Amino acid sequence: MTEETVQPLIEFKNVSLDYGETKVLKKVDLEIEEGKFYTLLGPSGSGKSTILSLISGRLQPTGGDILIEGKNVNSLPSNQRKVNTVFQNYALFPNMNVYDNVAFGPSIKGFSKKKIDQLVKSMLKLVKLDDFSDREISEISGGQQQRVAIARALANQPKVLLLDEPLSALDYKLRKEMQSELRELQQRLGITFIFVTHDQEEALAMSDWIFVINDGKVEQSGSPVDIYDEPINHFVANFIGEANIVPGVMKEDYLVSFAGKDFKNVDAGMRTNERVEVVIRPEDLDIVVPSRGKLQVTIEDQSFRGDSYEITAIDDAGNEWAVQATNPAKIGQRRGLKFDPEDIHIMRLNESEEDFDARLESYEGED
Amino acid sequence: MKKNKIGNLYLWLVFIVLYVPIFYLITYSFNSGKYMHGWKGFSLIHYCQLWADTRMIEIVVDTLIIAFLSSVLATIIGTFGALWINFAKSQLTKNILLNFNSILLVSPDVIIGASFLIFFTAIGLSLGFLSVLLSHIAFSIPIVVLMVLPRLQEMPVTLTEAAEDLGANFWQVLNKVTLPYISSGIMAGFFMALTYSLDDFAVTFFVTGNGFSTLSVEIYSRARQGISLEINALSAIMFIVSLILVFIYYFISRNGNRKRTPGLEATK
Repeated sequence: MTEETVQPLIEFKNVSLDYGETKVLKKVDLEIEEGKFYTLLGPSGSGKSTILSLISGRLQPTGGDILIEGKNVNSLPSNQRKVNTVFQNYALFPNMNVYDNVAFGPSIKGFSKKKIDQLVKSMLKLVKLDDFSDREISEISGGQQQRVAIARALANQPKVLLLDEPLSALDYKLRKEMQSELRELQQRLGITFIFVTHDQEEALAMSDWIFVINDGKVEQSGSPVDIYDEPINHFVANFIGEANIVPGVMKEDYLVSFAGKDFKNVDAGMRTNERVEVVIRPEDLDIVVPSRGKLQVTIEDQSFRGDSYEITAIDDAGNEWAVQATNPAKIGQRRGLKFDPEDIHIMRLNESEEDFDARLESYEGED
Repeated sequence: MKKNKIGNLYLWLVFIVLYVPIFYLITYSFNSGKYMHGWKGFSLIHYCQLWADTRMIEIVVDTLIIAFLSSVLATIIGTFGALWINFAKSQLTKNILLNFNSILLVSPDVIIGASFLIFFTAIGLSLGFLSVLLSHIAFSIPIVVLMVLPRLQEMPVTLTEAAEDLGANFWQVLNKVTLPYISSGIMAGFFMALTYSLDDFAVTFFVTGNGFSTLSVEIYSRARQGISLEINALSAIMFIVSLILVFIYYFISRNGNRKRTPGLEATK
């Protein structure tokens, strides 16, 4: 291990949480640095919201340690932590108007009236609700309630803002808008955002760093590009974007065999003739005349997706390939599939994240 | 259409049957004669008599004081009781507490009154103002709990969590978030307790003792010697007062509802 130069803002060391027999979190390790946009991405019930509750102090771990700024906060109650949460249902106080909701945190801290007023006004300006301070919560739209919730959390001047699936209740267009606004807000404020979502598109669009959570574990962590291009296993490859995953054998470094043929690729560091899984993204596949293709396939099905066609083809070994193409194809036709060596990604079975990172480093350093 | 007419007719009949005796009673409070039959002409003499009857005025004041004090205290105790039941972690504890609460509501007043009488004499408390006040508080608490608890249960947990997340401690959460949220339930509980206390007869009858009396007990004991129309005058006043109370309660609960219903403001 290299010496750590920067102390992480939040650190999970072997954190577990059990409810009796059910293990919600299984020895989770993660590090959160200052000033970045993090996303916890996973299907519902994966434990991603639980991690958020542990950071905010609504839950206590049954094993392991949670550190904030190097201090153990395992049993520190949530009202004493420098983190604030934007809840999924916003949890705005119905007996207060917009202004009083935002002023709640600062007034609890006992700030002067003048300071509270300044803070609330600047927060409402930040979320573009300057003119709404006198409105009742029941009088504003869902999108506006969302902004009030963000302003209320930020008015406490937290080091970390936790966002628990805050966009899931908004319609598609508003969600897109809020995504870029949240991203912009985070960059302007320079504080850490931890965003929980089950929407992989949202995660890829917004984050500096993604933790893919499944079944109470961190499956993979990395930048959006890393995770998309080099998923560590079947789950991640399938969950992030669409993927063709077929069984294969690594003949030697930079040579993989699948669908009955050998292909050059860019992965290495595996045992000779190791069984692996091969991933190729639908958008990396091109449909060409059979003689020019690396794989010969029969077109099986096709559907129109607005900006493209999704074509399903079957190769001679019986593997199914999803292809994203700009031009339509004819069902039943013989065609070829073209792809480059860089488009092939190899996944070892049951490889841990450390081994995966070490292996990538070992051969990528060689070039 | 026809069905609707029959329904309306039925409704009117029910209300007429319910209200005719009351209006009959009120009408005769203005009778210049002495009895509830044989209209002798309009007069306010019974109201004047009532005003001159210092014992009756005293009892009315006592009844109001008992009702007000007992419902205020029962509302405070009952609200905290409901909070406590709601905080109870195990479902079993919750159910046991709730059932104990309901038993008090459904058990006959006579039994409650008799048991209070036995209890007060056993501990040597002399019967009078205090014994009536204590028993009224006791039978009002379950009513308040029953009115407050549903509001508490429909309050989203995230509201409490959000307040704590923003730095509030237990009392600040209670004071700034929980109590305002359940305030309509608390008000409803208070008014229910007030009306229960005002018109309770059975329990009070057991614990009034000598000298001290409330309206319902006094009217009962006077009625045994034949009702004087003074009672009618008093009943008429009481009826108007309760009508006003009902309207106040209606407006409070309507305002509470409007605040919580999104979109209503826009259509106004």
